[in-house]
Amino acid sequence: MTQHDPALLSAALAGAERAMNQAIALSPTSHQALGGLSGTLLGVEVTTLDLTLYIKMVDATEVRLMTHCEDQTDAFVRGTLEDFGALATSEDPAAILINSSIELRGSSHSLIALQQVVSRMDIDWEAPLVDALGDVMGHQIAEGLRSVFRWGEGARASLKRQVSEYLLEEGRLTPPKAELEHFYDAVQSLAMRVDRAQNQVEKLLAKAALKRETQ
Amino acid sequence: MSEDRANTAEDNDDTTDFGFTRVDRDAKAGMVRGVFDSVASRYDLMNDLMSGGIHRLWKRFTIELCAVRPGQTILDIAGGTGDLAARFSRLVGQDGKVILADINAAMLEVGRDRLIDKGASDNIEVVQADAQYLPFADNSVDCITIAFGLRNVTDKAIALQSMLRVLRPGGRLLVLEFSKPTSPLLGKIYDQYSFQILPAMGRLVAQDADSYRYLAESIRKHPDQETLLAMMADAGFVESRYHNMTGGIVAVHQGFKA
Repeated sequence: MTQHDPALLSAALAGAERAMNQAIALSPTSHQALGGLSGTLLGVEVTTLDLTLYIKMVDATEVRLMTHCEDQTDAFVRGTLEDFGALATSEDPAAILINSSIELRGSSHSLIALQQVVSRMDIDWEAPLVDALGDVMGHQIAEGLRSVFRWGEGARASLKRQVSEYLLEEGRLTPPKAELEHFYDAVQSLAMRVDRAQNQVEKLLAKAALKRETQ
Repeated sequence: MSEDRANTAEDNDDTTDFGFTRVDRDAKAGMVRGVFDSVASRYDLMNDLMSGGIHRLWKRFTIELCAVRPGQTILDIAGGTGDLAARFSRLVGQDGKVILADINAAMLEVGRDRLIDKGASDNIEVVQADAQYLPFADNSVDCITIAFGLRNVTDKAIALQSMLRVLRPGGRLLVLEFSKPTSPLLGKIYDQYSFQILPAMGRLVAQDADSYRYLAESIRKHPDQETLLAMMADAGFVESRYHNMTGGIVAVHQGFKA
């Protein structure tokens, strides 16, 4: 239990829970995957905020957020806000779990499955717009929003590619990925050779000590 | 505010508090009933207005502390308009049971109608009952909640003992109630709000300033956090503790039956 005012936390969680459930309702394609996670309970401790919260997958269409829970969690993760931000947006959550400072207790399967469902959610913004504004107007606005999102996505990918090219090719500020991997392999190979040499030296020293004792 | 918060566990003579007034112990239940008969139809609306909707957050956290599991039996005392019972109904599922109890028939009627409208009445029993003399078998309930009700009970010690009797061993009691702000500044602001703004809102919305003045006075006469904790221990509850909410304006006390 954290030291924050429970009413404030409840307000934040109630808002987040409502937003998540609305997003789920607008994303029918994710219902099947969420249904497979029904009953799953995840615990999350954000050390930066001194906050512990629990995420319960009630069924295919409902998630419940809690500040207090006494049931056994399927997975409990502990880390900083930055760690969880990286995990939420990562294309390879398993790598983030292994390489970041996130501590995991329990099975990583449900956590990774949930992260993948969230990252693949395809929210149908058109449905509520059509309900509120009618077929024609709702569809037009939804199309406009989709164009904006597509442009934003394209712009983001383009910016990422250009920054990467500048850092690698023009500024030569970072090494290319292949060169870096080759360097890591070389370091690993060297480390293994050093280990082997150390073992051989230890064996020789032990042999020499035995020989001195017998003489 | 001229009156001090009650710091004794219970009154020893034949009178008790009704807000800032002393009344016969036998008369208090009837007077409280009169207040709630008057406000029943607009009780939830007034709660939303008075608390800015925060009472829903206080109740949400209380429900989390109940750690309800499917199949359990939950008793919601002073459950009135049934907002906690509706949430419990979903959590216990079809194999569980929720008992919505209140001493006031008008409040129960509003609660029962609302639960039927929500389609949440299958696993809910509605019982008119006095918290001091609960009409349930010993060791028959997994969890008891009483939200904003204990301060209206004539003899709180007797009520707590009655709740302990009904609880199963390992069962828990949650008391959500107005309490004492932890900051003196917040306390002063809260006093102004309670005795100036609250009755005015009661007059405007429920056309009943007196009932809402009683609600404010009864809050001030209710035992503070530590006193209620001691009363729970005296009644026989173990592992008792409390969480302050919104600067101590409200506290939720939790205790277990050994």
